[in-house]
Amino acid sequence: MVQARASERKQRPPRAVTAYLRPKQTPRRVVWQDRIADWTISIGGLAVILAVIGIMAFLVDVVVPLFLGGRVVASHRYELPKTSGRPLLVLADEEGILAGRIDEGGTFTSFHLPSGREIQALALNLGPTRVTAFARTIQGGDLIFGFADGSVRFARLDFDGRIVAATDVPPDARALEAGHRTDGAAVYAALPGGQMRRVAAKLELLEAEAVSPTGRPIVALDYRVGGNRERPTRAVVAVDEAGAILLTRSESRLNLLTRELTTDVRRSVLPPVAVGSTVVGVLLTQRADEVLLGKADGTLHRFDVRDFDRPVLAETRDVAPGRAEITSLGFLIGEQSVVVGTSTGDVHVYFRVAAPEARTTDGRALVLAHELEPHAGAVTAFTPSERSKAFATADANGAVWLRHATSEQVLLRPGAERRADVTALSLASRDDGIVTLDSSHTATYWRISAPHPETTLQTIFGRVWYEGYPEPTHTWQSSSGTDVFEPKFSLVPLIFGTLKATVYSLLFAVPLALLAAVYTSEFIHPRVRATVKPAMEMMASLPSVVLGFIAALVLAPLVETWIASVLLFLAAFPFTLLAGAVLWQALPTRLALLLEGVPKLGAMVVAIGLAALLSQQLGAPFEDAFFGGDFRLWLDGGRGSGEPLLFLILLPLSFGAVAWLASRLVGDRVDGWLRDATPLAAAAIDGARWLVLFAAAALAASGVASFLSLLGLDPRNGLVGTYVQRNTLVVGFAMGFAVIPIIYTIAEDAMSAVPSHLRAASLACGATPWQTAIRVIVPTATSGIFAGVMVGMGRAVGETMIVVMAAGNTPILDWNVFNGLRALSANIAVELPEAVKDSSLYRMLFLAALTLFAMTFVVNTVAEVVRLRFRRRAAQL
Amino acid sequence: MSVTELHAARRARRRKRADLRAHGEPQRWATGGALMLGVLLILGFLLLVLWNGLATFTPGPIAVVHLANGTVLAGEPTRAEAFEPTDETLATLPPDWQERIQAEHGLASRTLYRVGNYDLYGEDFRWVADYEIRAVEHPGDVVFVERAEWGPFVGRFARIELAGTSVAAKDVSADALEEAHRRARERREEIRHVEREQIGAVNREMERLRLELRRAELAHGPGSEAASRTAARVEPALAELQREYDELAARAAELRAEDSRHRVTLEDVNGTPKELLLSEIVRYYPANAIGPFGALGIYASRWWEFLSDEPREANTEGGVLPAIFGTAAMTLLMVIAVAPLGVVTALYLREYARQGRVVSLVRISVNNLAGVPSIVYGVFGLGFFAYTVGASIDQLFYPERLPAPTFGTGGLLWSSLTLALLTVPVVIVATEEALAAVPRSIREGSLACGASRWQTIRSIVLPQAMPGIMTGLILAMARGAGEVAPLMLVGVVKLAPELPVDGVLPFVHLERSFMHLGFHIYDVGFQSRNSEAGKPMVFVTTLLLIVLIALMNATAIIVRARLKRRFAGSQF
Repeated sequence: MVQARASERKQRPPRAVTAYLRPKQTPRRVVWQDRIADWTISIGGLAVILAVIGIMAFLVDVVVPLFLGGRVVASHRYELPKTSGRPLLVLADEEGILAGRIDEGGTFTSFHLPSGREIQALALNLGPTRVTAFARTIQGGDLIFGFADGSVRFARLDFDGRIVAATDVPPDARALEAGHRTDGAAVYAALPGGQMRRVAAKLELLEAEAVSPTGRPIVALDYRVGGNRERPTRAVVAVDEAGAILLTRSESRLNLLTRELTTDVRRSVLPPVAVGSTVVGVLLTQRADEVLLGKADGTLHRFDVRDFDRPVLAETRDVAPGRAEITSLGFLIGEQSVVVGTSTGDVHVYFRVAAPEARTTDGRALVLAHELEPHAGAVTAFTPSERSKAFATADANGAVWLRHATSEQVLLRPGAERRADVTALSLASRDDGIVTLDSSHTATYWRISAPHPETTLQTIFGRVWYEGYPEPTHTWQSSSGTDVFEPKFSLVPLIFGTLKATVYSLLFAVPLALLAAVYTSEFIHPRVRATVKPAMEMMASLPSVVLGFIAALVLAPLVETWIASVLLFLAAFPFTLLAGAVLWQALPTRLALLLEGVPKLGAMVVAIGLAALLSQQLGAPFEDAFFGGDFRLWLDGGRGSGEPLLFLILLPLSFGAVAWLASRLVGDRVDGWLRDATPLAAAAIDGARWLVLFAAAALAASGVASFLSLLGLDPRNGLVGTYVQRNTLVVGFAMGFAVIPIIYTIAEDAMSAVPSHLRAASLACGATPWQTAIRVIVPTATSGIFAGVMVGMGRAVGETMIVVMAAGNTPILDWNVFNGLRALSANIAVELPEAVKDSSLYRMLFLAALTLFAMTFVVNTVAEVVRLRFRRRAAQL
Repeated sequence: MSVTELHAARRARRRKRADLRAHGEPQRWATGGALMLGVLLILGFLLLVLWNGLATFTPGPIAVVHLANGTVLAGEPTRAEAFEPTDETLATLPPDWQERIQAEHGLASRTLYRVGNYDLYGEDFRWVADYEIRAVEHPGDVVFVERAEWGPFVGRFARIELAGTSVAAKDVSADALEEAHRRARERREEIRHVEREQIGAVNREMERLRLELRRAELAHGPGSEAASRTAARVEPALAELQREYDELAARAAELRAEDSRHRVTLEDVNGTPKELLLSEIVRYYPANAIGPFGALGIYASRWWEFLSDEPREANTEGGVLPAIFGTAAMTLLMVIAVAPLGVVTALYLREYARQGRVVSLVRISVNNLAGVPSIVYGVFGLGFFAYTVGASIDQLFYPERLPAPTFGTGGLLWSSLTLALLTVPVVIVATEEALAAVPRSIREGSLACGASRWQTIRSIVLPQAMPGIMTGLILAMARGAGEVAPLMLVGVVKLAPELPVDGVLPFVHLERSFMHLGFHIYDVGFQSRNSEAGKPMVFVTTLLLIVLIALMNATAIIVRARLKRRFAGSQF
């Protein structure tokens, strides 16, 4: 046994040489793990690029539909059964299933909208006289007929739509196109979930009412329905052949207990206008306080009926240039804008603005606000949208265009030119369909999609003339209490707000951070540095919501009460620091060296504290002397001139200029005196020099200030203005506070990273630490300093919480530092939670986010490029 | 001149020291002053928050103020300030007051009293100028009562009704009242337990069964066999649960009836009575008679309530436990999401990628991600995560709950993912630093021993870099805990009905909205009925948030310092 083991032992190689035992091939498992790790990590690493591109692509994808205009989804064209009269009205229901037609002869037909099959036909008994005028309310369903005998009749066309179970459809209903079925009176459409929508048309005709006292035919009508269920109101304006304009207003009260309807009717006759040409149309507002009358010769008359019993002709205006005639007239929703179509195809939009210097009786005037693209032929039909400032116009060549008034664009041109004259035109109530009917009873129905008609690049970035405003402006006002509101989406006030906040906060932060960084890298005591650097880094990690809260609830009221002291402090603390420096120069050299470091920093703290104390005590006398006792009143422009503030602004500039001039002219001589004097005398001479410089600067500044204010320059017109508690000054402080640590850290790192041999060489050549800092270190570290400022700027642009809380949220466009602002970021934070998904406001807010992204992208890229370029140069050192 | 004279002249001319302008003392003071101003600003800010935060919960005295016009008010003086009375007011004052005000440049002083009793007066605070005061006294029997609704009450106990018998307040000893109050609070806890937890559990189960039935109907059709089988199973269970519900509701009603037999009538300083249930009183104390130990006890109990209780009175009173919970849950989830992405990207940049265009592209992307404003992340999170991905998840997995969104709206998951995207650059930078600090020689040694690249990374590099990675994760946590803007859009709410993590399966509810400390600050400060009442609460919450973030940053700094020390001598 033992011998066998010995022989085995001889064959087995000795343990110490592991080379023979080591496997020559890497195990499969390890190879696979390695490969999987390779792939995972590479993909993961590239995922970051994907994330950035993905964010940008997603934002762009949400924003693009804003600019796409409209498109036709489906189009149908068919002929309806002909009747004797000309079509007066075509109207569709909400869902695009059923439509109704009424013609001059009084025939009412309801037909299936996608296919044109007739569902119901009724002959209305309109009476023996013929129809001479017709009108309907903007919301479509209330109608009025005017007759040749001077009477009118009201009617109401309703589409009664309701949801029924699938089992409620009568079994003998015949099938129609698009999967619908009809039982001869109503149309059934299938809904998801096994239910059906049932739509039926209902037309109700009321008794005739005499309107024209002379029994002349009515040539033009308008009709408005308003009020609420308990108190419905009705207003009618009728113009008869003789030119008499009659206004009737009736208000009904429904007594809920007795169910009695009491109606209060008031009539009024408007002053007649010269019957030189035919009346094309008449318009009435819902409250019956304004009537517009258009005549074929191109004049538009505006009547002010605010006092119902004493209507006044307020204004007459020629709205059709040259020999053109008015061919169509209509209100847009909201009854502020009037659309005038002429025989030359022009489509103009007018509305009323306050114009005290115009020669009208009520101090208001119509202005031509929008000139839209003209048609090729005369405008024959017009229909407004029920929910926005969009409208459709048709011309004599049969072209039908969908337009939008505020953005002045043509959204869609679904009707190619055809030889047909469109006599009836209507837009579906959800703006998703256009129905037209021509005199040969051929109907066309387009299903359209134009969800964002009010946004174009021009409306977002340019000036737009909104209803009621005296001139085109940049305005952001995304919603209001009413349904007929005109949304105002201009990003310009928001971008301006962002820039204003950034500028003022960098004005405060950059000097402070850079000076502090210079001190920390060049002059500071090492032990102090170990405390101060982490403290500043800690400052960087403070959440901005906390800063915003303190700024808005603690700082803003404090600054408001002590504004004069705050302004004085801004001037006082450089002064006390300078005084401290001059006094320190008087110290004997040995004492100065001993106290270098922490005691000197203590002295600086004392100087700042002294400045604070002085400004608090001297705030009131300062306010009395410069601003007439009340700074805020002075800001409002009430008393005094702008000279004191000009003086204060010019003071640092003139100080710099005077100091530079003095150093060029007498610098060498003063240096000579300083050199040959004892430390105490030198300090005294230096102190005297500063005092003289300061006096000269004050004199120069006051001279220039008086001169400028004689010229009429007053900072209260732009740079400062009315005081608001949450203003840009407070935001500047708070955002500066947030941005200082970032700039400080990066700049300080850059300055410390300058190779120490440069510093040593400069000191060896006899330069003082200050000269080294300003002439060697700072120029070398410029790229890092610049990068720091850029990163700080990027942070300031994107800061949200501070601006939301402390900036007052008013989207205004002025540089007044005592006014509020609204920034892009704050706007998004406040409005996005309540925006309906995929609405115009939602997409606009995404556009705002995209703008922010683009701004910070540009800033970061510039910083990166500069940093890379300078890094290459600095590496050579 | 001789050479000696020349040398002497030169020596005399030679400057003994640098001239003043070169030395640049004013410039030193300017730069140092800037630094000191910055430091003073930070210190001032921190002191302000510390002082106001710590002082909020101290119980102050109640002053009964007799005004010159004959009215009386009682309240806790909160703060005083200088103000300018209007000219009309000045005209009505007696001449000695007018002189005094003129001497102070037109400034008078006024004090803000917290008068409480919002339901009686319509206001919580009132300013009283010092010229309006005729007399101030501090009676020992005035109590400050913190209530469950309507905020605090300042007044006296008038009558106390215990177990149905009504007694005048002065006949009840303080200890007896305390005992009765304690029992009333216990009863209230029990009612809450029955209603919230037990009935809540029954409701949840019923809802689950109903949703199951609806899901079967949606999937197979309402009349189908599968649906009728499910209905047959579900309906008896629902009936049983309904019975249980009725039982529990009866128990709760019983407890409430018992509770309503213990009432207290308070009256304010003018004698107006206000009746309350004893259990509605959260805390009460005689403000002018507690003494230092009592005050300390109340201070400690208020702090405990703040950290462990739920908010009351629209977040302006009570505690912030749900907010702390929500912040912690979201931050932990965020760290779980950000760690793999950040570490993998840093590994790619350091170990795998060849230097060149791809790496610079990745670095530029990281820098850009770092620079993007946080609100843009919120917009992206809302639009993409919530409305796109969330809506698809709802369609696929929760169709029975539609149209009410489950994941199709903001919630815990989307908030964590959004913030993970935001803090990825922080983790990447810290991990890269940590990986770079691992000495090259160790890597080379491992490869020389025959390990593959992945084995080296997994067994050698990553464990050594782990402290640095931890630092990065902690810094990311600190950053994430402070961000509010993106959370406003993706899932934080003013008041969340339930905690996102609780004892009900699946324990972590990723679709629930949650509360957040930073948002709490914004909400209480700016969206409460009375921001003056909310200010103390905001200061305390601010203090808590700053303390948390400072702790996290300090931990990161300590870990980093220890890491530096560890590697100081590990070069070989």
